Amino acid sequence: MPNMKESTRTALLVAVRTLVAAACVTLVVTARTTVGWGNLLVMLAALAGLLALLASYNRRFR
Amino acid sequence: MLVCLLPASVLFAVFMIVPTVNVFRMSLYTWSGFSPDMRFVGLDNFRHLLDDQQFVRAFQNTIALLVVVTVVTMGMGLFLAAIMTRQRLRGRNLYRFVLYIPNVLSVVVIAAIFSAMYDQENGLLNGTLRLLSLDGLQQVWLGDQKVVLYSVAIAMVWQSLGYYMVLYMSSMAGIPEELYEASALDGASPARQFFALTLPLIWENLRTTLTFFIMSAVNLSFVLVRAMTGGGPDGSSEVLLSYMYKQAYTNSSYGYGMAIGVVIFAFSFLVSLLVSRATRREPLQF
Repeated sequence: MPNMKESTRTALLVAVRTLVAAACVTLVVTARTTVGWGNLLVMLAALAGLLALLASYNRRFR
Repeated sequence: MLVCLLPASVLFAVFMIVPTVNVFRMSLYTWSGFSPDMRFVGLDNFRHLLDDQQFVRAFQNTIALLVVVTVVTMGMGLFLAAIMTRQRLRGRNLYRFVLYIPNVLSVVVIAAIFSAMYDQENGLLNGTLRLLSLDGLQQVWLGDQKVVLYSVAIAMVWQSLGYYMVLYMSSMAGIPEELYEASALDGASPARQFFALTLPLIWENLRTTLTFFIMSAVNLSFVLVRAMTGGGPDGSSEVLLSYMYKQAYTNSSYGYGMAIGVVIFAFSFLVSLLVSRATRREPLQF
């Protein structure tokens, strides 16, 4: 989106990151309610998602 | 020079490397922990883990605690630290003292305090809800399978919040005031200052605490679960270390317990490594 203002782009990025983080935490909490390897893998994937989010936030500071 | 390193190297080998290697070695045996009979079974203990639903539940609980406690404690710790450091709060030293006290207490004492608070009949929580005529919200805090893990999580947050807050405060206090003054002149709001100035300048501290969170999710949860619920009801608050302890020392399945230990080691190591990689950046000089 080349025509988008820088501030709008930043706000959108922050909103998307917040939503993804909330979704990952929700996934961890809801997947715990049922015991099984499938649910455990979902929880691990959500944890990996949070770490990926952290890495993507940190990338521009490297 | 090498001779000087020898005592430390020997101690490190005897107390760190040998026990760790032994955990890996013992995970390949069946042994009750007491009898002289040890039988090599290869990867059988790990094969059994795949069919053990209680192990899966303990693993799920550990991940849930790791994520929930880290997010809540870190968020609240940063928020409180920023307020205590940046705002001229009256009596902030008292707040800091009160919030830090739980960290000085023994974890078993904290478990006892929370067990009393969660008591179904005479506990502070249900008592307050009754007083407010909110009887419908009353819970069997440590007896309900859906609630019990979060009851433990609240105790974990309460125990460690003050510690992390003080850690964040100490690094925030080192940020020069001129940087905030300059950013305020440029029109930055307190929220903007927090995300654009404070967070980047305390990043190394944040990295360290993230590793602490992983370790405490594994270690502290064991002590609290052991003292508050014993893993119950029906194993619903079991975490990896408490399940390992049960198998190795109560169920006389030492080898199986060590196989769980290997999984804990691999999981903690991998998550710590990924966190370290994900958060690595050039340190800022100021």
